[in-house]
Amino acid sequence: MSAWKYKRIMPKIAVAKLKIMEPKEITNLAGMSLHHISSILEKTPYKAEISEIRTELTANSLEDALLKNFINTCEELMEMSPKRIRLLLSTFLMKFEADCVKAILRAKKAELDMDEAMRYIMPVGRLDEARCRKILEISENIADVAESLSDMEYGSVLEKAFAVYEEEKVFYLLEVDIDRHVYSKIWRTIGKLGGLDKKIARTVIGLEIDSANVKTILRCKAMGISEGQIRRYLIPVSEVFGEKELEEVIRESDIHSFINSLVRLARDAMSRDYQYIFTEIQKQNVTSLTTLEKLLDRGLIETSLRMIKRYTPYFNIGLLLAFLNLKWFEVRNLRTIMRGTESGIPPDTIKKMLLLPR
Amino acid sequence: MSIELASVHPTRLELLRLRRRKSMAEGIVDILKKDLDALTLKLFELVKKIPPLRDKMYKTLREAYELFVEAEMISGSRKIEGVSLAAQPIDFSISEDKKKGVLGIIFPTLQLSEENRASGPRFNLLDTSANLDESATKIKDALYDIVKLAEIEGSVRIILEVMSIKKRQMNRIQFKILPQLNAAIRYIELILEETERQDAVRVRVLQRKRKERALKHA
Repeated sequence: MSAWKYKRIMPKIAVAKLKIMEPKEITNLAGMSLHHISSILEKTPYKAEISEIRTELTANSLEDALLKNFINTCEELMEMSPKRIRLLLSTFLMKFEADCVKAILRAKKAELDMDEAMRYIMPVGRLDEARCRKILEISENIADVAESLSDMEYGSVLEKAFAVYEEEKVFYLLEVDIDRHVYSKIWRTIGKLGGLDKKIARTVIGLEIDSANVKTILRCKAMGISEGQIRRYLIPVSEVFGEKELEEVIRESDIHSFINSLVRLARDAMSRDYQYIFTEIQKQNVTSLTTLEKLLDRGLIETSLRMIKRYTPYFNIGLLLAFLNLKWFEVRNLRTIMRGTESGIPPDTIKKMLLLPR
Repeated sequence: MSIELASVHPTRLELLRLRRRKSMAEGIVDILKKDLDALTLKLFELVKKIPPLRDKMYKTLREAYELFVEAEMISGSRKIEGVSLAAQPIDFSISEDKKKGVLGIIFPTLQLSEENRASGPRFNLLDTSANLDESATKIKDALYDIVKLAEIEGSVRIILEVMSIKKRQMNRIQFKILPQLNAAIRYIELILEETERQDAVRVRVLQRKRKERALKHA
Protein backbone atom coordinates (compact mmCIF):
# COMPACT_ATOMS: atom_id res chain seq x y z
CA MET A 1 0.00 0.00 0.00
CA SER A 2 1.27 3.48 -0.70
CA ALA A 3 2.62 5.81 1.93
CA TRP A 4 -0.27 8.15 1.09
CA LYS A 5 -2.42 6.44 3.73
CA TYR A 6 -0.30 8.13 6.43
CA LYS A 7 -1.02 11.66 5.14
CA ARG A 8 -3.24 12.62 8.09
CA ILE A 9 -1.78 10.73 11.01
CA MET A 10 1.94 11.34 10.53
CA PRO A 11 1.92 15.17 10.73
CA LYS A 12 -0.22 14.84 13.85
CA ILE A 13 2.25 12.39 15.44
CA ALA A 14 5.24 14.49 14.39
CA VAL A 15 3.74 17.51 16.17
CA ALA A 16 2.69 15.45 19.21
CA LYS A 17 6.19 13.93 19.42
CA LEU A 18 7.68 17.42 19.54
CA LYS A 19 5.52 18.10 22.59
CA ILE A 20 6.95 15.14 24.49
CA MET A 21 8.98 16.41 27.40
CA GLU A 22 12.75 16.32 27.14
CA PRO A 23 14.55 13.99 29.61
CA LYS A 24 16.07 17.04 31.33
CA GLU A 25 12.65 18.64 31.77
CA ILE A 26 11.38 15.42 33.38
CA THR A 27 14.34 14.97 35.74
CA ASN A 28 14.03 18.61 36.82
CA LEU A 29 10.54 17.83 38.16
CA ALA A 30 11.98 15.43 40.76
CA GLY A 31 11.97 17.17 44.10
CA MET A 32 9.28 19.73 43.19
CA SER A 33 5.99 19.86 45.05
CA LEU A 34 2.86 18.38 43.47
CA HIS A 35 1.41 21.87 42.92
CA HIS A 36 4.58 22.97 41.18
CA ILE A 37 4.61 19.85 39.01
CA SER A 38 0.93 20.37 38.18
CA SER A 39 1.52 24.00 37.18
CA ILE A 40 4.39 22.94 34.90
CA LEU A 41 2.29 20.13 33.36
CA GLU A 42 -0.46 22.64 32.66
CA LYS A 43 1.83 24.09 30.01
CA THR A 44 2.04 20.70 28.26
CA PRO A 45 -0.54 18.55 26.40
CA TYR A 46 -1.77 17.34 29.83
CA LYS A 47 -3.39 20.75 30.45
CA ALA A 48 -6.96 19.75 29.56
CA GLU A 49 -7.03 16.64 31.78
CA ILE A 50 -5.30 18.36 34.72
CA SER A 51 -7.73 21.28 34.62
CA GLU A 52 -10.56 18.71 34.93
CA ILE A 53 -9.31 17.61 38.36
CA ARG A 54 -12.07 18.57 40.76
CA THR A 55 -10.79 16.85 43.86
CA GLU A 56 -7.75 17.63 45.97
CA LEU A 57 -4.47 17.61 44.04
CA THR A 58 -2.80 14.31 44.88
CA ALA A 59 -0.46 11.92 43.10
CA ASN A 60 -3.50 9.72 42.40
CA SER A 61 -5.62 12.47 40.85
CA LEU A 62 -2.68 13.62 38.72
CA GLU A 63 -1.93 10.02 37.70
CA ASP A 64 -5.55 9.61 36.55
CA ALA A 65 -5.23 12.81 34.51
CA LEU A 66 -2.06 11.56 32.83
CA LEU A 67 -3.59 8.17 32.02
CA LYS A 68 -6.71 9.85 30.63
CA ASN A 69 -4.46 12.02 28.46
CA PHE A 70 -2.66 8.94 27.15
CA ILE A 71 -5.93 7.20 26.33
CA ASN A 72 -7.38 10.36 24.72
CA THR A 73 -4.23 10.72 22.60
CA CYS A 74 -4.54 7.11 21.44
CA GLU A 75 -8.21 7.67 20.59
CA GLU A 76 -7.41 10.87 18.68
CA LEU A 77 -4.72 9.09 16.68
CA MET A 78 -7.05 6.17 16.08
CA GLU A 79 -9.64 8.45 14.48
CA MET A 80 -7.24 9.75 11.87
CA SER A 81 -5.42 6.46 11.23
CA PRO A 82 -5.78 4.27 8.18
CA LYS A 83 -8.05 1.24 8.65
CA ARG A 84 -5.54 -1.40 9.73
CA ILE A 85 -3.62 0.91 12.01
CA ARG A 86 -6.92 2.03 13.53
CA LEU A 87 -7.64 -1.62 14.23
CA LEU A 88 -4.23 -2.04 15.85
CA LEU A 89 -4.74 1.06 18.00
CA SER A 90 -8.17 -0.10 19.05
CA THR A 91 -6.75 -3.47 20.13
CA PHE A 92 -3.87 -1.59 21.79
CA LEU A 93 -6.46 0.33 23.82
CA MET A 94 -7.92 -3.01 24.87
CA LYS A 95 -5.02 -3.20 27.32
CA PHE A 96 -6.70 -0.38 29.25
CA GLU A 97 -10.12 -1.98 28.85
CA ALA A 98 -8.62 -5.17 30.24
CA ASP A 99 -7.30 -3.17 33.21
CA CYS A 100 -10.82 -1.88 33.72
CA VAL A 101 -12.31 -5.41 33.59
CA LYS A 102 -9.66 -6.66 36.01
CA ALA A 103 -10.40 -3.77 38.38
CA ILE A 104 -14.13 -4.63 38.29
CA LEU A 105 -13.36 -8.28 39.02
CA ARG A 106 -11.08 -7.34 41.91
CA ALA A 107 -13.69 -5.00 43.34
CA LYS A 108 -16.32 -7.76 43.19
CA LYS A 109 -13.91 -10.25 44.76
CA ALA A 110 -13.27 -7.81 47.58
CA GLU A 111 -17.02 -7.08 47.83
CA LEU A 112 -16.55 -3.33 47.65
CA ASP A 113 -19.50 -1.01 47.39
CA MET A 114 -20.09 0.93 44.18
CA ASP A 115 -18.29 4.19 45.09
CA GLU A 116 -15.36 2.42 46.66
CA ALA A 117 -15.05 0.13 43.61
CA MET A 118 -15.12 3.09 41.20
CA ARG A 119 -11.99 4.44 42.92
CA TYR A 120 -10.01 1.60 41.36
CA ILE A 121 -11.66 1.62 37.95
CA MET A 122 -10.59 3.84 35.09
CA PRO A 123 -13.42 3.80 32.53
CA VAL A 124 -12.10 3.53 29.02
CA GLY A 125 -13.34 2.81 25.51
CA ARG A 126 -16.43 0.63 25.46
CA LEU A 127 -16.35 0.37 29.22
CA ASP A 128 -17.40 3.92 30.04
CA GLU A 129 -18.40 5.02 33.53
CA ALA A 130 -22.11 4.24 33.06
CA ARG A 131 -21.32 0.73 31.80
CA CYS A 132 -18.90 0.07 34.66
CA ARG A 133 -21.44 1.25 37.22
CA LYS A 134 -24.13 -0.93 35.63
CA ILE A 135 -21.89 -4.00 35.71
CA LEU A 136 -21.08 -3.37 39.36
CA GLU A 137 -24.75 -2.83 40.14
CA ILE A 138 -26.15 -5.94 38.49
CA SER A 139 -23.30 -8.30 39.39
CA GLU A 140 -23.45 -10.08 42.68
CA ASN A 141 -20.21 -11.97 42.17
CA ILE A 142 -17.41 -12.67 39.69
CA ALA A 143 -19.57 -15.07 37.68
CA ASP A 144 -22.16 -12.31 37.19
CA VAL A 145 -19.42 -9.94 35.95
CA ALA A 146 -18.48 -12.51 33.29
CA GLU A 147 -22.14 -12.78 32.31
CA SER A 148 -22.67 -9.02 32.15
CA LEU A 149 -19.67 -8.77 29.83
CA SER A 150 -21.05 -11.45 27.52
CA ASP A 151 -21.59 -8.92 24.71
CA MET A 152 -17.84 -8.28 24.64
CA GLU A 153 -15.03 -10.76 24.05
CA TYR A 154 -14.07 -10.53 27.75
CA GLY A 155 -17.30 -12.37 28.58
CA SER A 156 -16.34 -15.54 26.70
CA VAL A 157 -12.72 -15.32 27.94
CA LEU A 158 -13.93 -15.04 31.53
CA GLU A 159 -16.46 -17.80 31.04
CA LYS A 160 -13.71 -20.20 29.99
CA ALA A 161 -11.36 -19.00 32.72
CA PHE A 162 -14.11 -19.22 35.32
CA ALA A 163 -14.25 -23.02 35.08
CA VAL A 164 -10.56 -23.16 36.07
CA TYR A 165 -11.14 -20.55 38.76
CA GLU A 166 -13.98 -22.58 40.25
CA GLU A 167 -11.72 -25.60 40.38
CA GLU A 168 -8.51 -24.02 41.65
CA LYS A 169 -9.85 -20.91 43.42
CA VAL A 170 -6.92 -18.87 42.15
CA PHE A 171 -8.17 -15.40 41.26
CA TYR A 172 -5.25 -14.08 39.28
CA LEU A 173 -5.68 -16.84 36.69
CA LEU A 174 -8.73 -14.87 35.50
CA GLU A 175 -6.52 -11.79 35.11
CA VAL A 176 -3.83 -13.82 33.33
CA ASP A 177 -6.38 -15.14 30.84
CA ILE A 178 -7.63 -11.62 30.10
CA ASP A 179 -4.07 -10.39 29.51
CA ARG A 180 -3.25 -13.40 27.34
CA HIS A 181 -6.37 -12.75 25.29
CA VAL A 182 -5.58 -9.05 24.78
CA TYR A 183 -1.96 -9.63 23.78
CA SER A 184 -2.95 -12.50 21.47
CA LYS A 185 -5.50 -10.23 19.82
CA ILE A 186 -2.91 -7.46 19.41
CA TRP A 187 -0.58 -10.03 17.86
CA ARG A 188 -3.26 -11.25 15.46
CA THR A 189 -4.00 -7.64 14.47
CA ILE A 190 -0.32 -7.06 13.77
CA GLY A 191 -0.51 -10.08 11.49
CA LYS A 192 -3.08 -8.23 9.40
CA LEU A 193 -0.66 -5.35 8.77
CA GLY A 194 1.44 -5.53 5.68
CA GLY A 195 5.09 -5.12 4.64
CA LEU A 196 7.32 -2.88 6.73
CA ASP A 197 4.53 -1.96 9.14
CA LYS A 198 4.14 -5.60 10.08
CA LYS A 199 7.88 -6.03 10.49
CA ILE A 200 8.25 -2.96 12.73
CA ALA A 201 5.14 -3.74 14.80
CA ARG A 202 6.22 -7.35 15.29
CA THR A 203 9.62 -6.17 16.52
CA VAL A 204 8.36 -3.43 18.86
CA ILE A 205 5.29 -5.17 20.27
CA GLY A 206 6.96 -8.56 20.10
CA LEU A 207 9.72 -7.18 22.26
CA GLU A 208 7.15 -5.85 24.72
CA ILE A 209 5.53 -9.29 24.95
CA ASP A 210 8.86 -11.09 25.18
CA SER A 211 10.04 -8.67 27.89
CA ALA A 212 6.86 -9.39 29.83
CA ASN A 213 7.43 -13.15 29.46
CA VAL A 214 11.09 -12.87 30.51
CA LYS A 215 10.09 -10.83 33.58
CA THR A 216 7.36 -13.35 34.44
CA ILE A 217 9.74 -16.32 34.13
CA LEU A 218 12.42 -14.72 36.29
CA ARG A 219 9.98 -13.57 38.96
CA CYS A 220 8.34 -17.00 39.05
CA LYS A 221 11.72 -18.69 39.29
CA ALA A 222 12.68 -16.37 42.15
CA MET A 223 9.47 -17.47 43.91
CA GLY A 224 10.33 -21.12 43.31
CA ILE A 225 7.35 -21.77 41.06
CA SER A 226 7.48 -24.94 38.97
CA GLU A 227 8.15 -24.83 35.22
CA GLY A 228 4.72 -26.26 34.46
CA GLN A 229 3.06 -23.49 36.44
CA ILE A 230 5.23 -20.77 34.84
CA ARG A 231 4.05 -21.80 31.36
CA ARG A 232 0.48 -20.97 32.39
CA TYR A 233 1.37 -17.33 33.01
CA LEU A 234 3.22 -16.69 29.75
CA ILE A 235 1.74 -14.83 26.82
CA PRO A 236 1.61 -17.46 24.11
CA VAL A 237 2.65 -15.20 21.20
CA SER A 238 6.10 -13.98 20.38
CA GLU A 239 8.45 -12.65 17.75
CA VAL A 240 11.69 -14.29 18.86
CA PHE A 241 11.18 -16.19 22.10
CA GLY A 242 8.43 -18.61 21.18
CA GLU A 243 6.89 -21.16 23.51
CA LYS A 244 9.34 -23.85 22.43
CA GLU A 245 12.38 -21.59 22.89
CA LEU A 246 11.20 -20.35 26.28
CA GLU A 247 10.58 -23.89 27.43
CA GLU A 248 14.29 -24.57 27.04
CA VAL A 249 15.47 -21.45 28.85
CA ILE A 250 12.97 -21.88 31.70
CA ARG A 251 15.07 -24.82 32.84
CA GLU A 252 18.13 -22.62 33.42
CA SER A 253 18.99 -22.57 37.07
CA ASP A 254 20.19 -19.00 37.57
CA ILE A 255 19.67 -15.56 36.11
CA HIS A 256 23.07 -15.44 34.35
CA SER A 257 22.64 -18.69 32.45
CA PHE A 258 19.07 -17.62 31.67
CA ILE A 259 20.27 -14.34 30.11
CA ASN A 260 23.07 -16.18 28.27
CA SER A 261 20.48 -18.52 26.76
CA LEU A 262 18.33 -15.55 25.71
CA VAL A 263 21.34 -13.92 24.02
CA ARG A 264 22.00 -17.18 22.21
CA LEU A 265 18.37 -17.40 21.12
CA ALA A 266 18.43 -13.79 19.89
CA ARG A 267 21.60 -14.53 17.96
CA ASP A 268 20.11 -17.69 16.44
CA ALA A 269 17.02 -15.74 15.40
CA MET A 270 19.31 -13.03 13.97
CA SER A 271 17.31 -10.39 15.77
CA ARG A 272 19.56 -7.35 16.12
CA ASP A 273 17.27 -5.45 18.48
CA TYR A 274 16.96 -8.36 20.89
CA GLN A 275 20.71 -8.86 20.72
CA TYR A 276 21.33 -5.19 21.66
CA ILE A 277 19.12 -5.46 24.74
CA PHE A 278 20.12 -8.85 26.05
CA THR A 279 23.83 -8.38 25.32
CA GLU A 280 23.63 -5.13 27.31
CA ILE A 281 21.97 -7.00 30.20
CA GLN A 282 24.59 -9.74 29.90
CA LYS A 283 27.41 -7.16 29.99
CA GLN A 284 26.01 -5.46 33.08
CA ASN A 285 26.01 -8.78 34.90
CA VAL A 286 22.58 -8.07 36.36
CA THR A 287 21.56 -9.98 39.45
CA SER A 288 18.60 -7.94 40.63
CA LEU A 289 15.21 -8.41 39.02
CA THR A 290 14.33 -4.73 39.44
CA THR A 291 17.43 -3.67 37.49
CA LEU A 292 16.65 -6.25 34.83
CA GLU A 293 13.08 -4.94 34.52
CA LYS A 294 14.42 -1.42 34.13
CA LEU A 295 16.88 -2.47 31.42
CA LEU A 296 14.16 -4.35 29.54
CA ASP A 297 11.83 -1.34 29.69
CA ARG A 298 14.56 1.00 28.56
CA GLY A 299 15.33 -1.46 25.75
CA LEU A 300 11.75 -1.05 24.62
CA ILE A 301 12.04 2.76 24.27
CA GLU A 302 15.40 2.50 22.59
CA THR A 303 14.13 -0.11 20.11
CA SER A 304 11.20 2.17 19.23
CA LEU A 305 13.60 5.07 18.63
CA ARG A 306 15.93 2.82 16.63
CA MET A 307 13.05 1.91 14.34
CA ILE A 308 12.64 5.59 13.39
CA LYS A 309 16.34 5.87 12.60
CA ARG A 310 16.48 2.56 10.75
CA TYR A 311 13.48 3.11 8.51
CA THR A 312 12.39 6.37 6.90
CA PRO A 313 9.96 8.00 9.32
CA TYR A 314 6.51 9.28 8.30
CA PHE A 315 5.87 6.41 5.88
CA ASN A 316 5.47 3.54 8.26
CA ILE A 317 4.10 2.60 11.67
CA GLY A 318 7.51 3.04 13.35
CA LEU A 319 6.93 6.66 14.29
CA LEU A 320 3.50 5.90 15.73
CA LEU A 321 4.77 3.06 17.91
CA ALA A 322 7.80 5.07 18.98
CA PHE A 323 5.54 7.97 19.90
CA LEU A 324 3.19 5.72 21.89
CA ASN A 325 6.09 4.16 23.76
CA LEU A 326 7.72 7.54 24.45
CA LYS A 327 4.40 8.95 25.61
CA TRP A 328 3.70 5.91 27.80
CA PHE A 329 7.12 6.10 29.45
CA GLU A 330 6.66 9.86 29.91
CA VAL A 331 3.41 9.14 31.78
CA ARG A 332 5.18 6.45 33.78
CA ASN A 333 8.09 8.75 34.63
CA LEU A 334 5.75 11.53 35.71
CA ARG A 335 3.84 9.06 37.85
CA THR A 336 7.12 7.90 39.41
CA ILE A 337 8.04 11.50 40.23
CA MET A 338 4.65 12.40 41.67
CA ARG A 339 4.27 9.26 43.77
CA GLY A 340 7.87 9.58 44.95
CA THR A 341 7.36 13.23 45.86
CA GLU A 342 4.19 12.39 47.79
CA SER A 343 6.00 9.65 49.73
CA GLY A 344 8.93 11.92 50.53
CA ILE A 345 11.47 9.96 48.48
CA PRO A 346 14.70 11.95 47.95
CA PRO A 347 14.99 13.51 44.44
CA ASP A 348 18.18 11.59 43.66
CA THR A 349 16.44 8.27 44.32
CA ILE A 350 13.49 9.34 42.17
CA LYS A 351 15.84 10.32 39.34
CA LYS A 352 17.48 6.89 39.48
CA MET A 353 14.08 5.27 38.96
CA LEU A 354 13.22 7.23 35.83
CA LEU A 355 13.27 5.42 32.53
CA LEU A 356 14.97 7.67 30.02
CA PRO A 357 16.58 6.72 26.73
CA ARG A 358 20.35 7.13 26.67
CA MET B 1 9.06 -21.45 109.06
CA SER B 2 9.32 -18.58 111.49
CA ILE B 3 10.66 -19.47 114.90
CA GLU B 4 8.98 -18.14 118.04
CA LEU B 5 11.50 -18.01 120.84
CA ALA B 6 8.82 -18.83 123.37
CA SER B 7 8.13 -22.13 121.69
CA VAL B 8 11.77 -23.16 121.48
CA HIS B 9 12.76 -25.93 123.81
CA PRO B 10 16.11 -24.92 125.25
CA THR B 11 17.58 -28.35 125.01
CA ARG B 12 20.87 -29.56 123.62
CA LEU B 13 18.96 -31.71 121.12
CA GLU B 14 17.02 -28.68 119.92
CA LEU B 15 20.29 -26.75 119.63
CA LEU B 16 21.76 -29.47 117.44
CA ARG B 17 18.60 -29.52 115.32
CA LEU B 18 18.67 -25.75 114.91
CA ARG B 19 22.37 -25.74 113.99
CA ARG B 20 21.64 -28.38 111.36
CA ARG B 21 18.82 -26.24 110.03
CA LYS B 22 21.09 -23.22 109.93
CA SER B 23 23.79 -24.96 107.94
CA MET B 24 21.15 -26.29 105.54
CA ALA B 25 19.72 -22.76 105.09
CA GLU B 26 23.20 -21.43 104.38
CA GLY B 27 23.65 -24.20 101.79
CA ILE B 28 20.37 -23.23 100.15
CA VAL B 29 21.49 -19.58 99.99
CA ASP B 30 24.68 -20.71 98.25
CA ILE B 31 22.69 -22.75 95.72
CA LEU B 32 20.28 -19.86 95.12
CA LYS B 33 23.23 -17.52 94.56
CA LYS B 34 24.68 -19.91 92.00
CA ASP B 35 21.24 -20.20 90.30
CA LEU B 36 20.99 -16.43 90.18
CA ASP B 37 24.42 -16.22 88.57
CA ALA B 38 23.45 -18.78 85.95
CA LEU B 39 20.18 -16.98 85.26
CA THR B 40 21.94 -13.61 85.00
CA LEU B 41 24.37 -15.06 82.47
CA LYS B 42 21.52 -16.49 80.39
CA LEU B 43 19.63 -13.20 80.68
CA PHE B 44 22.62 -11.24 79.36
CA GLU B 45 23.06 -13.78 76.59
CA LEU B 46 19.43 -13.32 75.51
CA VAL B 47 19.41 -9.54 75.96
CA LYS B 48 22.52 -9.29 73.78
CA LYS B 49 20.61 -10.96 70.95
CA ILE B 50 17.78 -8.41 71.00
CA PRO B 51 19.40 -5.20 69.58
CA PRO B 52 20.91 -6.82 66.45
CA LEU B 53 17.70 -8.73 65.78
CA ARG B 54 15.60 -5.60 66.32
CA ASP B 55 17.92 -3.59 64.04
CA LYS B 56 17.67 -6.32 61.42
CA MET B 57 13.88 -6.27 61.69
CA TYR B 58 13.69 -2.47 61.37
CA LYS B 59 16.09 -2.56 58.41
CA THR B 60 14.05 -5.27 56.68
CA LEU B 61 10.80 -3.36 57.29
CA ARG B 62 12.36 -0.13 56.00
CA GLU B 63 13.60 -1.90 52.87
CA ALA B 64 10.19 -3.52 52.40
CA TYR B 65 8.49 -0.14 52.65
CA GLU B 66 10.94 1.46 50.21
CA LEU B 67 10.42 -1.38 47.73
CA PHE B 68 6.67 -1.05 48.15
CA VAL B 69 6.80 2.68 47.41
CA GLU B 70 9.03 1.95 44.40
CA ALA B 71 6.45 -0.61 43.20
CA GLU B 72 3.78 2.08 43.55
CA MET B 73 5.98 4.55 41.68
CA ILE B 74 6.39 2.09 38.80
CA SER B 75 2.91 0.60 38.55
CA GLY B 76 0.80 3.33 40.15
CA SER B 77 -0.48 3.37 43.70
CA ARG B 78 -4.09 2.78 42.71
CA LYS B 79 -3.16 -0.29 40.71
CA ILE B 80 -1.12 -1.74 43.56
CA GLU B 81 -3.98 -1.04 45.92
CA GLY B 82 -6.38 -2.67 43.45
CA VAL B 83 -4.15 -5.71 43.02
CA SER B 84 -3.94 -6.09 46.79
CA LEU B 85 -7.74 -6.35 46.97
CA ALA B 86 -7.68 -9.68 45.21
CA ALA B 87 -4.21 -10.91 46.15
CA GLN B 88 -4.18 -14.36 47.66
CA PRO B 89 -3.76 -13.90 51.38
CA ILE B 90 -1.14 -15.86 53.28
CA ASP B 91 -2.31 -17.39 56.52
CA PHE B 92 0.44 -17.59 59.06
CA SER B 93 0.26 -19.77 62.12
CA ILE B 94 2.49 -19.69 65.15
CA SER B 95 3.13 -22.98 66.87
CA GLU B 96 4.42 -22.81 70.40
CA ASP B 97 6.80 -25.43 71.67
CA LYS B 98 8.65 -25.84 74.96
CA LYS B 99 12.37 -26.16 75.30
CA LYS B 100 14.32 -26.97 78.46
CA GLY B 101 16.89 -24.30 79.10
CA VAL B 102 19.14 -23.22 81.92
CA LEU B 103 18.34 -24.85 85.35
CA GLY B 104 15.66 -26.91 83.63
CA ILE B 105 13.44 -23.87 83.16
CA ILE B 106 11.06 -24.35 80.25
CA PHE B 107 11.40 -21.62 77.61
CA PRO B 108 8.90 -21.06 74.80
CA THR B 109 9.98 -21.62 71.20
CA LEU B 110 7.77 -20.01 68.59
CA GLN B 111 7.62 -21.33 65.06
CA LEU B 112 6.05 -19.19 62.33
CA SER B 113 4.77 -21.15 59.39
CA GLU B 114 2.76 -20.44 56.27
CA GLU B 115 -0.52 -22.29 56.33
CA ASN B 116 -1.51 -22.18 52.68
CA ARG B 117 1.69 -21.93 50.71
CA ALA B 118 0.51 -21.07 47.20
CA SER B 119 1.98 -22.99 44.29
CA GLY B 120 1.92 -19.87 42.13
CA PRO B 121 2.24 -16.11 42.49
CA ARG B 122 -0.20 -14.31 44.74
CA PHE B 123 -1.16 -11.66 42.20
CA ASN B 124 -0.99 -10.95 38.48
CA LEU B 125 2.65 -10.49 37.55
CA LEU B 126 1.93 -8.45 34.42
CA ASP B 127 0.33 -5.65 36.44
CA THR B 128 3.09 -5.33 38.99
CA SER B 129 6.84 -5.00 39.14
CA ALA B 130 9.42 -7.23 40.80
CA ASN B 131 9.74 -4.64 43.58
CA LEU B 132 6.37 -5.77 44.92
CA ASP B 133 7.53 -9.40 45.15
CA GLU B 134 10.71 -8.31 46.88
CA SER B 135 8.73 -6.09 49.25
CA ALA B 136 6.39 -8.99 50.12
CA THR B 137 9.38 -11.28 50.69
CA LYS B 138 11.01 -8.71 52.97
CA ILE B 139 7.80 -8.31 54.98
CA LYS B 140 7.71 -12.07 55.39
CA ASP B 141 11.34 -12.04 56.57
CA ALA B 142 10.50 -9.27 59.02
CA LEU B 143 7.62 -11.38 60.38
CA TYR B 144 10.04 -14.22 61.13
CA ASP B 145 12.30 -11.73 62.95
CA ILE B 146 9.33 -10.36 64.90
CA VAL B 147 8.39 -13.88 66.03
CA LYS B 148 12.01 -14.60 67.00
CA LEU B 149 12.04 -11.37 69.02
CA ALA B 150 8.80 -12.39 70.73
CA GLU B 151 10.36 -15.74 71.58
CA ILE B 152 13.40 -14.06 73.14
CA GLU B 153 11.20 -11.58 75.01
CA GLY B 154 9.14 -14.50 76.34
CA SER B 155 12.29 -16.24 77.56
CA VAL B 156 13.57 -13.00 79.14
CA ARG B 157 10.28 -12.56 80.97
CA ILE B 158 10.39 -16.12 82.31
CA ILE B 159 14.01 -15.67 83.43
CA LEU B 160 13.19 -12.39 85.17
CA GLU B 161 10.24 -14.03 86.91
CA VAL B 162 12.37 -16.95 88.08
CA MET B 163 15.12 -14.57 89.14
CA SER B 164 12.71 -12.52 91.23
CA ILE B 165 11.34 -15.71 92.87
CA LYS B 166 14.88 -16.92 93.63
CA LYS B 167 15.83 -13.47 94.93
CA ARG B 168 12.79 -13.44 97.19
CA GLN B 169 13.62 -16.91 98.48
CA MET B 170 17.24 -15.87 99.10
CA ASN B 171 16.21 -12.70 100.90
CA ARG B 172 13.74 -14.60 103.03
CA ILE B 173 16.41 -17.09 104.08
CA GLN B 174 19.15 -14.48 104.50
CA PHE B 175 17.19 -11.81 106.28
CA LYS B 176 14.44 -13.74 108.07
CA ILE B 177 15.12 -17.40 108.60
CA LEU B 178 18.86 -17.22 109.31
CA PRO B 179 18.55 -14.35 111.86
CA GLN B 180 15.69 -16.22 113.56
CA LEU B 181 17.74 -19.41 113.67
CA ASN B 182 20.74 -17.48 114.98
CA ALA B 183 18.55 -15.90 117.66
CA ALA B 184 17.09 -19.27 118.65
CA ILE B 185 20.52 -20.88 118.76
CA ARG B 186 21.88 -18.00 120.81
CA TYR B 187 18.85 -18.23 123.10
CA ILE B 188 19.32 -21.95 123.66
CA GLU B 189 23.06 -21.48 124.12
CA LEU B 190 22.41 -18.79 126.73
CA ILE B 191 19.83 -20.91 128.51
CA LEU B 192 22.15 -23.90 128.44
CA GLU B 193 25.07 -21.80 129.69
CA GLU B 194 22.84 -20.44 132.46
CA THR B 195 21.74 -23.95 133.40
CA GLU B 196 25.37 -25.08 133.41
CA ARG B 197 26.32 -22.20 135.62
CA GLN B 198 23.46 -22.95 138.02
CA ASP B 199 24.42 -26.61 138.03
CA ALA B 200 28.05 -25.70 138.76
CA VAL B 201 27.01 -23.44 141.65
CA ARG B 202 24.67 -26.12 142.94
CA VAL B 203 27.48 -28.72 142.76
CA ARG B 204 29.88 -26.41 144.54
CA VAL B 205 27.28 -25.68 147.29
CA LEU B 206 26.56 -29.37 147.69
CA GLN B 207 30.29 -30.17 147.78
CA ARG B 208 30.81 -27.44 150.39
CA LYS B 209 27.88 -28.72 152.47
CA ARG B 210 29.23 -32.28 152.15
CA LYS B 211 32.65 -31.11 153.32
CA GLU B 212 31.11 -29.22 156.27
CA ARG B 213 29.06 -32.26 157.20
CA ALA B 214 32.16 -34.44 157.03
CA LEU B 215 34.11 -32.02 159.23
CA LYS B 216 31.23 -31.93 161.78
CA HIS B 217 31.15 -35.75 162.02
CA ALA B 218 34.91 -35.88 162.31
